[in-house]
Amino acid sequence: MELTDADLIARVLVDDDQHAFGELVRRHQSAVRGLLRQLTRTDLALADDLAQDTFVRAFKHIGSFRGEARFSTWLYRIAYNCFREDARRRKELVGIDEDQLQAEADPQTVDPGLRHDLMHALSFLPLRERSAVLLCCQNGLSHEEAARVLDIPLGTVKTNVLRGREKLKKMLAAWGPD
Amino acid sequence: MDEKNREDWLDQQLRETAPYIDDDGFTARVLQKLPVVRSQRQSLRAVILLGITVLASVLAYVVSDGGRFVSISIERLAMLPMLWLFAVALGCGILVMAGGLIAAISKTKEVQS
Repeated sequence: MELTDADLIARVLVDDDQHAFGELVRRHQSAVRGLLRQLTRTDLALADDLAQDTFVRAFKHIGSFRGEARFSTWLYRIAYNCFREDARRRKELVGIDEDQLQAEADPQTVDPGLRHDLMHALSFLPLRERSAVLLCCQNGLSHEEAARVLDIPLGTVKTNVLRGREKLKKMLAAWGPD
Repeated sequence: MDEKNREDWLDQQLRETAPYIDDDGFTARVLQKLPVVRSQRQSLRAVILLGITVLASVLAYVVSDGGRFVSISIERLAMLPMLWLFAVALGCGILVMAGGLIAAISKTKEVQS
Protein backbone atom coordinates (compact mmCIF):
# COMPACT_ATOMS: atom_id res chain seq x y z
CA MET A 1 0.00 0.00 0.00
CA GLU A 2 1.34 3.40 -0.97
CA LEU A 3 1.85 5.85 1.87
CA THR A 4 -0.08 9.10 1.70
CA ASP A 5 1.59 12.50 1.95
CA ALA A 6 0.25 12.76 5.53
CA ASP A 7 1.91 9.43 6.48
CA LEU A 8 5.23 10.57 5.05
CA ILE A 9 5.00 13.95 6.80
CA ALA A 10 4.30 12.15 10.10
CA ARG A 11 7.45 10.05 9.59
CA VAL A 12 9.52 13.15 8.93
CA LEU A 13 8.12 14.83 12.04
CA VAL A 14 8.40 11.90 14.43
CA ASP A 15 11.52 10.08 13.22
CA ASP A 16 13.30 12.83 11.27
CA ASP A 17 13.06 10.31 8.42
CA GLN A 18 14.93 11.79 5.45
CA HIS A 19 13.92 8.89 3.20
CA ALA A 20 10.27 9.77 3.79
CA PHE A 21 11.06 13.37 2.89
CA GLY A 22 12.87 12.09 -0.21
CA GLU A 23 9.68 10.35 -1.28
CA LEU A 24 7.75 13.61 -0.82
CA VAL A 25 10.33 15.39 -2.98
CA ARG A 26 10.06 12.69 -5.67
CA ARG A 27 6.28 13.05 -5.71
CA HIS A 28 6.14 16.83 -5.96
CA GLN A 29 9.39 17.81 -7.72
CA SER A 30 7.87 17.84 -11.19
CA ALA A 31 5.01 20.19 -10.29
CA VAL A 32 7.21 22.54 -8.24
CA ARG A 33 9.97 22.65 -10.83
CA GLY A 34 7.40 23.10 -13.61
CA LEU A 35 5.80 26.06 -11.82
CA LEU A 36 9.18 27.68 -11.16
CA ARG A 37 10.29 27.13 -14.75
CA GLN A 38 7.22 29.04 -15.92
CA LEU A 39 7.67 31.79 -13.34
CA THR A 40 11.33 32.25 -14.21
CA ARG A 41 10.44 32.15 -17.90
CA THR A 42 12.11 28.82 -18.57
CA ASP A 43 15.42 29.68 -16.91
CA LEU A 44 16.02 26.02 -16.05
CA ALA A 45 19.10 26.47 -13.86
CA LEU A 46 17.52 29.23 -11.78
CA ALA A 47 14.24 27.32 -11.52
CA ASP A 48 16.01 24.20 -10.24
CA ASP A 49 18.04 26.22 -7.72
CA LEU A 50 14.83 27.78 -6.43
CA ALA A 51 13.13 24.37 -6.35
CA GLN A 52 15.99 23.01 -4.22
CA ASP A 53 15.66 25.98 -1.85
CA THR A 54 11.92 25.34 -1.73
CA PHE A 55 12.31 21.74 -0.58
CA VAL A 56 15.10 22.53 1.89
CA ARG A 57 12.93 25.27 3.37
CA ALA A 58 9.96 22.90 3.48
CA PHE A 59 12.05 20.35 5.40
CA LYS A 60 13.21 22.96 7.91
CA HIS A 61 9.67 24.21 8.53
CA ILE A 62 7.66 21.04 8.07
CA GLY A 63 6.59 21.31 11.71
CA SER A 64 4.59 24.40 10.80
CA PHE A 65 2.55 22.54 8.15
CA ARG A 66 -0.91 22.39 9.75
CA GLY A 67 -2.60 20.18 7.18
CA GLU A 68 -5.31 22.80 6.53
CA ALA A 69 -4.33 22.89 2.86
CA ARG A 70 -2.90 20.21 0.57
CA PHE A 71 0.83 19.61 0.95
CA SER A 72 1.30 20.61 -2.70
CA THR A 73 -0.43 23.97 -2.04
CA TRP A 74 1.90 24.56 0.90
CA LEU A 75 4.88 23.75 -1.33
CA TYR A 76 3.65 26.10 -4.07
CA ARG A 77 3.47 28.87 -1.51
CA ILE A 78 7.06 28.29 -0.40
CA ALA A 79 8.15 28.06 -4.06
CA TYR A 80 6.41 31.32 -4.89
CA ASN A 81 8.02 33.04 -1.89
CA CYS A 82 11.46 31.74 -2.93
CA PHE A 83 10.86 33.06 -6.44
CA ARG A 84 9.65 36.44 -5.17
CA GLU A 85 12.59 36.86 -2.79
CA ASP A 86 15.01 35.96 -5.56
CA ALA A 87 13.29 38.32 -7.99
CA ARG A 88 13.48 41.10 -5.42
CA ARG A 89 17.15 40.40 -4.95
CA ARG A 90 17.66 40.63 -8.68
CA LYS A 91 15.38 43.67 -8.89
CA GLU A 92 13.44 42.01 -11.66
CA LEU A 93 10.01 41.88 -10.12
CA VAL A 94 7.72 44.36 -11.86
CA GLY A 95 8.58 46.96 -14.48
CA ILE A 96 12.09 46.11 -15.53
CA ASP A 97 11.27 42.63 -16.72
CA GLU A 98 8.47 43.83 -19.00
CA ASP A 99 10.96 45.65 -21.23
CA GLN A 100 13.23 42.66 -21.18
CA LEU A 101 10.33 40.53 -22.31
CA GLN A 102 9.57 42.71 -25.29
CA ALA A 103 13.21 42.46 -26.29
CA GLU A 104 13.01 38.68 -26.11
CA ALA A 105 10.06 38.61 -28.51
CA ASP A 106 11.90 37.87 -31.70
CA PRO A 107 9.33 36.78 -34.29
CA GLN A 108 11.94 34.73 -36.15
CA THR A 109 12.37 32.39 -33.21
CA VAL A 110 8.66 31.65 -32.87
CA ASP A 111 7.93 27.98 -33.34
CA PRO A 112 4.73 27.16 -35.22
CA GLY A 113 3.76 24.58 -32.59
CA LEU A 114 0.88 25.34 -30.24
CA ARG A 115 2.86 24.32 -27.19
CA HIS A 116 5.60 26.76 -28.00
CA ASP A 117 3.11 29.52 -28.73
CA LEU A 118 1.31 28.91 -25.47
CA MET A 119 4.56 29.00 -23.47
CA HIS A 120 5.54 32.14 -25.30
CA ALA A 121 2.14 33.75 -24.68
CA LEU A 122 2.35 32.83 -21.00
CA SER A 123 5.71 34.53 -20.66
CA PHE A 124 4.15 37.74 -21.96
CA LEU A 125 1.65 37.94 -19.12
CA PRO A 126 2.52 40.18 -16.18
CA LEU A 127 3.78 38.18 -13.18
CA ARG A 128 0.57 38.55 -11.15
CA GLU A 129 -1.60 37.22 -14.00
CA ARG A 130 0.90 34.53 -15.01
CA SER A 131 1.13 33.19 -11.44
CA ALA A 132 -2.65 33.12 -11.04
CA VAL A 133 -3.21 31.40 -14.41
CA LEU A 134 -0.43 28.86 -13.77
CA LEU A 135 -1.73 27.94 -10.33
CA CYS A 136 -5.45 27.80 -11.19
CA CYS A 137 -5.55 26.64 -14.81
CA GLN A 138 -2.38 24.58 -15.07
CA ASN A 139 -1.90 23.17 -11.56
CA GLY A 140 -5.59 22.84 -10.75
CA LEU A 141 -5.68 24.92 -7.57
CA SER A 142 -8.95 26.52 -6.53
CA HIS A 143 -9.11 30.31 -6.41
CA GLU A 144 -9.04 30.13 -2.60
CA GLU A 145 -5.90 27.96 -2.63
CA ALA A 146 -4.21 30.26 -5.14
CA ALA A 147 -5.06 33.27 -2.96
CA ARG A 148 -3.35 31.54 -0.05
CA VAL A 149 -0.28 30.69 -2.14
CA LEU A 150 0.07 34.17 -3.60
CA ASP A 151 -0.95 35.89 -0.36
CA ILE A 152 -3.43 38.19 -2.11
CA PRO A 153 -7.22 38.63 -1.76
CA LEU A 154 -9.54 36.11 -3.42
CA GLY A 155 -11.12 38.77 -5.66
CA THR A 156 -7.70 39.77 -6.98
CA VAL A 157 -6.92 36.17 -7.90
CA LYS A 158 -10.22 35.86 -9.79
CA THR A 159 -9.55 39.11 -11.65
CA ASN A 160 -5.99 38.08 -12.52
CA VAL A 161 -7.12 34.68 -13.81
CA LEU A 162 -9.83 36.31 -15.90
CA ARG A 163 -7.50 38.93 -17.37
CA GLY A 164 -4.72 36.41 -17.97
CA ARG A 165 -7.10 34.04 -19.72
CA GLU A 166 -8.47 36.82 -21.91
CA LYS A 167 -4.98 37.86 -22.97
CA LEU A 168 -3.99 34.26 -23.71
CA LYS A 169 -7.12 33.77 -25.78
CA LYS A 170 -6.29 36.89 -27.82
CA MET A 171 -2.66 35.89 -28.27
CA LEU A 172 -3.67 32.38 -29.35
CA ALA A 173 -6.51 33.49 -31.59
CA ALA A 174 -5.05 31.54 -34.49
CA TRP A 175 -5.42 28.33 -32.52
CA GLY A 176 -8.55 26.94 -31.01
CA PRO A 177 -11.05 24.11 -30.83
CA ASP A 178 -12.23 22.87 -34.20
CA MET B 1 -21.12 28.35 -25.68
CA ASP B 2 -18.20 29.06 -28.01
CA GLU B 3 -16.65 31.20 -25.33
CA LYS B 4 -16.98 28.38 -22.78
CA ASN B 5 -15.53 25.86 -25.24
CA ARG B 6 -12.60 28.13 -25.86
CA GLU B 7 -11.94 28.51 -22.12
CA ASP B 8 -12.09 24.75 -21.61
CA TRP B 9 -9.77 24.26 -24.55
CA LEU B 10 -7.31 26.82 -23.14
CA ASP B 11 -7.33 25.18 -19.68
CA GLN B 12 -6.76 21.80 -21.27
CA GLN B 13 -3.85 23.11 -23.33
CA LEU B 14 -2.36 24.74 -20.24
CA ARG B 15 -2.51 21.46 -18.33
CA GLU B 16 -0.94 19.63 -21.26
CA THR B 17 1.89 22.15 -21.55
CA ALA B 18 3.04 21.02 -18.11
CA PRO B 19 4.80 17.76 -18.95
CA TYR B 20 6.21 15.50 -16.23
CA ILE B 21 9.77 16.55 -15.42
CA ASP B 22 12.09 13.60 -14.81
CA ASP B 23 13.74 13.56 -11.41
CA ASP B 24 17.20 13.15 -12.98
CA GLY B 25 19.06 13.29 -9.65
CA PHE B 26 17.09 16.27 -8.33
CA THR B 27 15.84 14.44 -5.20
CA ALA B 28 19.36 13.24 -4.39
CA ARG B 29 20.68 16.80 -4.65
CA VAL B 30 17.93 18.06 -2.32
CA LEU B 31 18.64 15.31 0.24
CA GLN B 32 22.34 16.25 0.21
CA LYS B 33 21.42 19.84 1.03
CA LEU B 34 19.14 18.98 3.97
CA PRO B 35 20.41 20.24 7.31
CA VAL B 36 21.41 17.74 10.00
CA VAL B 37 20.91 20.28 12.76
CA ARG B 38 17.63 18.76 13.96
CA SER B 39 19.07 15.38 14.96
CA GLN B 40 22.13 17.02 16.53
CA ARG B 41 19.82 19.22 18.56
CA GLN B 42 17.83 16.19 19.65
CA SER B 43 20.92 14.29 20.80
CA LEU B 44 22.09 17.38 22.67
CA ARG B 45 18.71 17.52 24.39
CA ALA B 46 19.01 13.85 25.34
CA VAL B 47 22.50 14.40 26.82
CA ILE B 48 21.25 17.39 28.87
CA LEU B 49 18.26 15.43 30.18
CA LEU B 50 20.44 12.44 31.10
CA GLY B 51 22.96 14.70 32.83
CA ILE B 52 20.27 16.42 34.89
CA THR B 53 18.78 13.03 35.86
CA VAL B 54 22.16 11.69 37.03
CA LEU B 55 22.87 14.89 38.93
CA ALA B 56 19.45 14.82 40.63
CA SER B 57 19.90 11.15 41.58
CA VAL B 58 23.32 11.80 43.15
CA LEU B 59 21.92 14.82 44.99
CA ALA B 60 18.95 12.81 46.29
CA TYR B 61 21.28 10.01 47.40
CA VAL B 62 23.55 12.39 49.34
CA VAL B 63 20.73 14.41 50.90
CA SER B 64 18.80 11.32 51.97
CA ASP B 65 21.71 9.97 53.99
CA GLY B 66 22.80 7.26 51.58
CA GLY B 67 19.32 6.46 50.37
CA ARG B 68 18.13 5.13 53.74
CA PHE B 69 14.56 6.16 52.95
CA VAL B 70 14.52 3.62 50.12
CA SER B 71 15.33 0.65 52.36
CA ILE B 72 12.88 1.93 55.01
CA SER B 73 10.13 2.23 52.38
CA ILE B 74 10.82 -1.26 51.06
CA GLU B 75 10.69 -2.68 54.61
CA ARG B 76 7.35 -0.93 55.20
CA LEU B 77 6.02 -2.17 51.88
CA ALA B 78 7.09 -5.74 52.66
CA MET B 79 5.18 -5.59 55.92
CA LEU B 80 1.91 -4.63 54.21
CA PRO B 81 -0.80 -7.28 53.86
CA MET B 82 -0.94 -9.04 50.48
CA LEU B 83 -4.19 -7.32 49.41
CA TRP B 84 -2.72 -3.86 50.08
CA LEU B 85 0.44 -4.80 48.18
CA PHE B 86 -1.70 -5.86 45.24
CA ALA B 87 -3.69 -2.60 45.37
CA VAL B 88 -0.50 -0.51 45.41
CA ALA B 89 0.94 -2.45 42.43
CA LEU B 90 -2.33 -2.08 40.53
CA GLY B 91 -2.50 1.65 41.29
CA CYS B 92 1.08 2.15 40.11
CA GLY B 93 0.36 0.18 36.92
CA ILE B 94 -2.75 2.25 36.15
CA LEU B 95 -0.82 5.47 36.80
CA VAL B 96 2.00 4.50 34.40
CA MET B 97 -0.50 3.35 31.76
CA ALA B 98 -2.46 6.62 32.02
CA GLY B 99 0.75 8.61 31.66
CA GLY B 100 1.70 6.62 28.56
CA LEU B 101 -1.73 7.06 27.04
CA ILE B 102 -1.76 10.83 27.63
CA ALA B 103 1.71 11.14 26.06
CA ALA B 104 0.66 9.03 23.05
CA ILE B 105 -2.57 10.99 22.49
CA SER B 106 -0.83 14.35 22.69
CA LYS B 107 1.86 13.15 20.26
CA THR B 108 -0.80 11.88 17.83
CA LYS B 109 -2.59 15.25 17.92
CA GLU B 110 0.72 17.03 17.31
CA VAL B 111 1.49 14.81 14.29
CA GLN B 112 -2.03 15.13 12.86
CA SER B 113 -1.92 18.92 13.07
